[in-house]
Order: sequence, then C-alpha cells, then structure tokens
Amino acid sequence: MHEALAMATLALLGDETPVGCVFVHDGKIIGRGMNATNRTYNGTRHAEFIAINDILSQKDPNGLPLYGPEILADCDLYVTVEPCIMCASLLRQIGIRRVYFGAQNEKFGGTGGVLNVHLGNGKRVLETDYRVDDGKDASKGRCVEGDYEVSGGWLREEAIVMLRRFYVQENERAPEPRSKKERILKLEVEPMIEGDNGC
Amino acid sequence: MDSERSKKGRLIPLKTTLEVEARDRVIDVYIASIPLRQASNALNTVRRLIPNDGGLDLQHLRRFSKPSHVPLHVQATIASVKSPASGTENAESEAGELLLVVGSVESISKETIIESLCSVHTPSAIIITQVPLLAPTSQEQATRFSSQYWPTVYKKSNPFGPHPSLISRAEEELAYEAPKWMALAVAVAQETRAAGTGEEIGVVVLRRHDGIATPVAVAGDMRWLNWPRFKTGNPAAHAVLRAIAMVADGLRRRKEDAQLAAATSATGLFRDEPRGELEQCDSVAGDDGYLCHDLEIYCTHEPCVMCAMAIVHSRFGRAVFGRRMPRTGGLCADGELGHGLFWRKELNWTLFAWQWNNENEDSTAQKGDEDLHA
Repeated sequence: MHEALAMATLALLGDETPVGCVFVHDGKIIGRGMNATNRTYNGTRHAEFIAINDILSQKDPNGLPLYGPEILADCDLYVTVEPCIMCASLLRQIGIRRVYFGAQNEKFGGTGGVLNVHLGNGKRVLETDYRVDDGKDASKGRCVEGDYEVSGGWLREEAIVMLRRFYVQENERAPEPRSKKERILKLEVEPMIEGDNGC
Repeated sequence: MDSERSKKGRLIPLKTTLEVEARDRVIDVYIASIPLRQASNALNTVRRLIPNDGGLDLQHLRRFSKPSHVPLHVQATIASVKSPASGTENAESEAGELLLVVGSVESISKETIIESLCSVHTPSAIIITQVPLLAPTSQEQATRFSSQYWPTVYKKSNPFGPHPSLISRAEEELAYEAPKWMALAVAVAQETRAAGTGEEIGVVVLRRHDGIATPVAVAGDMRWLNWPRFKTGNPAAHAVLRAIAMVADGLRRRKEDAQLAAATSATGLFRDEPRGELEQCDSVAGDDGYLCHDLEIYCTHEPCVMCAMAIVHSRFGRAVFGRRMPRTGGLCADGELGHGLFWRKELNWTLFAWQWNNENEDSTAQKGDEDLHA
C-alpha cells in the first residue's frame, strides 16, 4: 500500500490526480500505475489501466512478453482510491483475484462506492434474495464467475490527504484553471463509518 | 448493407434508473362518488380535510373523472358497493355523478370522509383503489396508467431524468443522419470481424458544429489482436475505448507537435492505433478542453459497464447504440444489470442516450451473444 501511495505522489508531482496502484504477484510487485488522464488527454487512463499495460509490456531477454494476461488471476491489486466503475469492470473482465484500496470513492466507486461491480457485475440484488432459511447473508455464498474480493480502508487517511493536496495544487491542464490560493490543506481525516469500507 | 433498408428505424430514448425504479409504484386512495353539482364544494372540503394532499403530489391524476372514464375494474367496484335498495334513486342521479380522488388511505379514514362530506352531500359510494404514485414520464405510460389505474395526465416533464423537450430537440438533430452513422459503425464492425482481430462491434465518434456532424474517430473492436484466446479478450481494445484513445491521441499530436505521439506498438494493453481501412481518426475535438466534451458516439451494441463509464468519464454529450445487451450493458436502466450509467445523480456527468431500433434487425442480444461485453 505504501508503494501505491508512492505512485500517487508521483502522479501529484506530474499534476495528475494522485491515484496510484501496484499489482503484486507472489509477494513481488510486477506492475505499477498512476493516473495519467491529463498527460494523455484521455479521461480513461486511470492507474489500473497504466499498471496492467506496464505488466503486459515487459519483455524477457528474448524480447518476448514476460507476462500474459492470465497472470492477473493470481495478482492482488493495491490502489490508493477505490477503483471507479470503469476500472472495476476492467478488473472483472480481465480477471483479478483481490483488490485492496485506501479511500472510498462515493462519486464513481465501482466496488461499493456507487455500484458493486465486483459482485455479479453490480446486478441489483433484491432484498428477498438475501433471505435464506438459516438467516445468513446469502449474497456472500453466491459467487459468479469474475467476482473478486475487495477490502477497503487501507492507509485511507494518507490517500485522502493526498487527494486534498491535489485539490489545493493549481492545475494548469484543467480546461478552466481555477485559482486555488484560497484553498487550505486540511490534514485531519474524519474516522471511517462502520460498514463504509466498500466490502 | 442496404442503405435504404437500414433507414427504417427509430431512436428510443433510454429510461433513467430513477425512472425505472419509480415506474410502477402505486398507492391506495379513497375515491368518492358525488353529485356533479356538489363537485367543487366537495373538493374544497377535501382540501380543508387533507391540506396539501398530505404531502403527496397528485397533479398527474385527474382529480375528478366521469364514472365511464375510469377502468372497468374500478367501475365494477363502485357498482358493487352501491346498495341495491337505492337502485332507482341511483339510476336518476348516476348520470350526474363524478368520481373524486379524496386522498391516500394513510392520510384519512373512511369514517372521517363520510362525516365531513355529509355537510355537502353523502357520497353514494366510497371505495379504495390503486393509483400511480408518481407522474408518468411519457404519453405511453400515461395511457397505460389511465387504462390500468385511474385517468392520468402526461405533462411533458420528467422529474427522474432529462427534460423530454431537450431530448426531442436533440433527437431531431440526430434522427436524419443516424442511419448513416449506424451503418458506418456496422461496417467497421464487419471489417474487424473479417480481419479476425475482434468481435463484430464498431463505434463512430462525431463532432457536431452548427448542426453538421463530422466523424472524428471510427473504431472497431480489437480484443483478439495479439491477445491469447483467454477469457473475454482484451478489454482495453473494446471499440469504445479505442475510439476515445484515438480522439485523445489526435489531440495530443496537435498540441505537442507529434513529438509525444510515438507510434504505440500493439503490445501491452492498449490497441489505440487505427488499423483497418475504415478506421480513422481526424481529431478536431477537444477545443474546449475536456476530451470528447459533448461529442456524439454511435455504437453497434450497448457498451459494457467499463465502456459506458468511459463514455461518462470522457464527457460525451450523446450516445446511440444498436443492440441492447441486458446482461453486460452499462447504459440501460431496465436491463438485467440496471446501471443506467448515462444518467445517474451520483456521477458528475450526464448525457442523453438512445437505442437505435432498426426494424429489420433483432434489437437485443442474440443467442450465444448474451454474455458478450461490447
């Protein structure tokens, strides 16, 4: 998670929204990414896309790809902010095992913030579907192919403060740059509400 | 594709998530049968009795209705509660009676209604019936409500989505050329399929200036290009993401004098370079900053959740797609997923979206294709 935050710092230094991530395979980081939407003029170049591209672009000494897409099924993603709906769907389609994130994303979050794409592609589950005879939550047991585990709140405060740093930093690339001299960096982070971790 | 044939189709505006959720909510209300002459007195009494209709908005319901204008089951219920003893009296007065929506069963009791209306005229019948809780968002829905529940008025407004007049104005602009752009999307889809590099899915991005549309990117699906036959192929090579990347790359070239636009080889994750004959990228977009801001996108299929969200992130203004993908699509609110990403309050961008319904084709996913992520 600290490595993901380091990627977010890198994004911040490059005037990008500070979101960073790493993919870990067998305890080793095999791909890194950070938000690149300003640099590429492409609003879909989120950290997760950049990191997967990083993994798949690596070559062995013979110039052949070092990793194929199938390796992602054995990877864990560590990302500073909850994956957005688009990235949550990317991760589902390309096949990821587990996602750890820092701050929840109430605006775009695809793994709890707005939708639950990691569970059944976010299909709305009717209340009656949850009720089973033994009274347990049945949704947990009904795994659909492509579902992945998600756990939020890791180094959450650091991730939030990082986003706030961007908020007070001037963004020359913004379509309408705003003066942010008035903005003050707030360092206290409100505690997480129970059950608010997007799982 | 026969261009004449393909012109037969129409644009169907998508429903928003709120619209779909609200669609069939009904409440129980009291209906009282009162003499025509006492109608306004009775309504005044009801207004005093239940100020503001108890907080409900009943503007979409006809407050009074002739007995012959309500659905048959309501007529039957009323007939059943009228006492046969007063039959002769009824026969005389029935023509002169109106049915009044008194209020929801939660806001008042039957006894109170009788007690209060006595001062005006004792209602010859009081029944409970279901009425739609929320205003209809189309004439079709109003007609359905009127025949199922109670005479309902469509007021050309939609509290759950874009205003109908804005949609119809945009629709007028699109309608004429929609078949042409959809045909181009289909053609690039066929090209990519024939090349074996992707599924038969295609996308056209347009920029509209003074009503004139110019294509800025044409892209097919490339999910199988340099990609193992593994799972569902390369998601980043979906036609929508490729089209967005083409617009971005064009913009970047223009702004940075091609220095950064090093040709991306088709390895790694991205497949952004135009490849096929029909594929093109004449990026004149983005003068106003945000990529794809207010551009139009035409897709052969309803885009998957990822691509639908990419369309929102890129701030497209209008989206049109051909085939509905209920299991995988992200735009529709009334599919199996129900995400309705084109218009959701939580997201920071909304756009107009239509399905292009071609009369000659099946407009939903076909057998074997239901799980395709377009």
